[in-house]
Amino acid sequence: MKKLGIALILLGSIIFFSTVFIVDMTEQVVILQFGKPVKTIKEPGLHFKLPIPIQTATVFDNRLLEYDVPPEEILSKDKKSLIVDNYVRWKIVDPLLFLQTVQAIPTAITRLDDIVYSELRRELGTHNMSDIITENREIIMKQVTHNSKVATSPYGIEVVDVRIKRVDLPKENEKSIYARMEAERKRQANKFRSEGEEEAQKIRATTEKDKTIILANAYKESQQIRGEGEAIALEIYAKAFGADPDFYEFVRTLETYKKIIDEKTTLVLPSDSDLFKLIGNR
Amino acid sequence: MANRRIIIGDKEYQIPERLLSLGITPVLGIGFFLWLATGFYQVGPDEVGVVQRFGKVSRVVQSGLRYHFPYPVETVNTPKVTEVKRIEIGFRTVGKNQFRTVERESIMLTGDENIVDAEMIVQYKLKDPEAYLFNFVRPVLTVREASEASLRTIIGRHGIDKALTAGKLMIQEETKTLLQSILDKYDSGIQVVAVQLQDVSPPKSVIAAFKDVASAKEDKNRLINEAEGYRNDVIPKARGEAQAMIREAEGFKEARMKRAEGDVAKFNSMLKEYKKGKSITKKRLYLEAMEDILPGVEKFIVPDGEGGNLLNLLNLTGKESGGKK
Repeated sequence: MKKLGIALILLGSIIFFSTVFIVDMTEQVVILQFGKPVKTIKEPGLHFKLPIPIQTATVFDNRLLEYDVPPEEILSKDKKSLIVDNYVRWKIVDPLLFLQTVQAIPTAITRLDDIVYSELRRELGTHNMSDIITENREIIMKQVTHNSKVATSPYGIEVVDVRIKRVDLPKENEKSIYARMEAERKRQANKFRSEGEEEAQKIRATTEKDKTIILANAYKESQQIRGEGEAIALEIYAKAFGADPDFYEFVRTLETYKKIIDEKTTLVLPSDSDLFKLIGNR
Repeated sequence: MANRRIIIGDKEYQIPERLLSLGITPVLGIGFFLWLATGFYQVGPDEVGVVQRFGKVSRVVQSGLRYHFPYPVETVNTPKVTEVKRIEIGFRTVGKNQFRTVERESIMLTGDENIVDAEMIVQYKLKDPEAYLFNFVRPVLTVREASEASLRTIIGRHGIDKALTAGKLMIQEETKTLLQSILDKYDSGIQVVAVQLQDVSPPKSVIAAFKDVASAKEDKNRLINEAEGYRNDVIPKARGEAQAMIREAEGFKEARMKRAEGDVAKFNSMLKEYKKGKSITKKRLYLEAMEDILPGVEKFIVPDGEGGNLLNLLNLTGKESGGKK
């Protein structure tokens, strides 16, 4: 009798515990009744269901999930090959639909990979390489995210974000970019050096010019000053000598004699000259 | 006191009868209290406690000794909320002051289709512990991937020269903004504290060409400076020379004037004398002048009337002459 009681309690508690279950913050649950879905629970907390084997609970992740897509070589509109490495952030928004169509995450990822890859390939195929690398990358990503979202919604999946981590060029293209960069820099370096020489030449030439002008101006000014000196002197002489021109001529002539006659001069003087008239008359 | 002998395996135990008569009640009691005791937990000063009751968040508590109903009723997470976490993009710290480049992460295309090597540090912390705990998987990977994507997107918007020089700060800010917007989109509860571009440099294989541009710039400046130096040498000298010419001319002018004045003064005083006795003075001046001139001069005095006939003098010079008869 006592043993039967214990068995009943045991059975009772097993049944009780299979009716109670906890849904965590990170989870969502689909209740199946004999394999047929009857309820979707997204609210965390303590929940009840009919005991096993009538109802079973299947748990799905409620969080934003990650999928790192392996790098792929994709052609741009201008037929340039790009190696695109992107990732996907997605979540299960309709666990029931998810359960019915893809069952579990690994299958879902396969499906996701197919869809995102083809959307990406299609979208990138409508843009030129420079667009993909530069300004429009975000617009492209938004478009791919949107298209993928639409395409995956029948699986109860929401694609939150498709994002390009890296866009690289194939190795051989990279080499040609390096070669171009090098050439560009060489051009710049040459330009700087030539500019330097140009500037320097300009400065030197201007210097020579300025020097010539400075000296010429100085010559002009000094000649003017000399001229002024001469003019003033002339004026002074003229004023004074004008008082008695004859006497001036006489004095000045004597002075001139003093200057021009020296020991190399041979003078022939007639005896009737003013100076020697006494000698001649003896 | 009677003992009950119990054999388990090949071991024999003596257990007092009284203990057995208590049944399993005390074991259950002790077990219950131990179970209750598992509810104590500590929240560190840099943490908060997020308590879930039956999976649902019931409260968030600050640091200290805390209690929650034991598992499975309540559970607790204690994320570090003040700690600033750090992620390295493009390189890894491998030891003290030792770094290893990760080219797969650091080599990227710029907007003008050049390639740069960029390294970055991202610092982040939790702004919403609940969101951080429950909204998404693999937080570190998420931040890393979003950071890489952000940096490349932003570098892709700018040209290489901007990325290498003046645009660094701008790129940093734009990357931070973009990264934060991505993490907000994921409702991650993460706050980006700082984005620091470490080293943005040209790729190794072309770095020499880039350095040569820098030295070319130096060369340019050097050439210009040398020319300026030349100018600074030549122009003052020329100005000095010019001043010398002008001063000399001024000196000449002054001298010319003074000489004129001197001459005039002399003349005037002579004139004064002359006016006192005209012919006498004239004669005196003449004779004085002759006294000055004639002593050093070779002279011939010829008689009257023959003054005009110079042929007579040819012998007297002592020189060869073909004119004598």
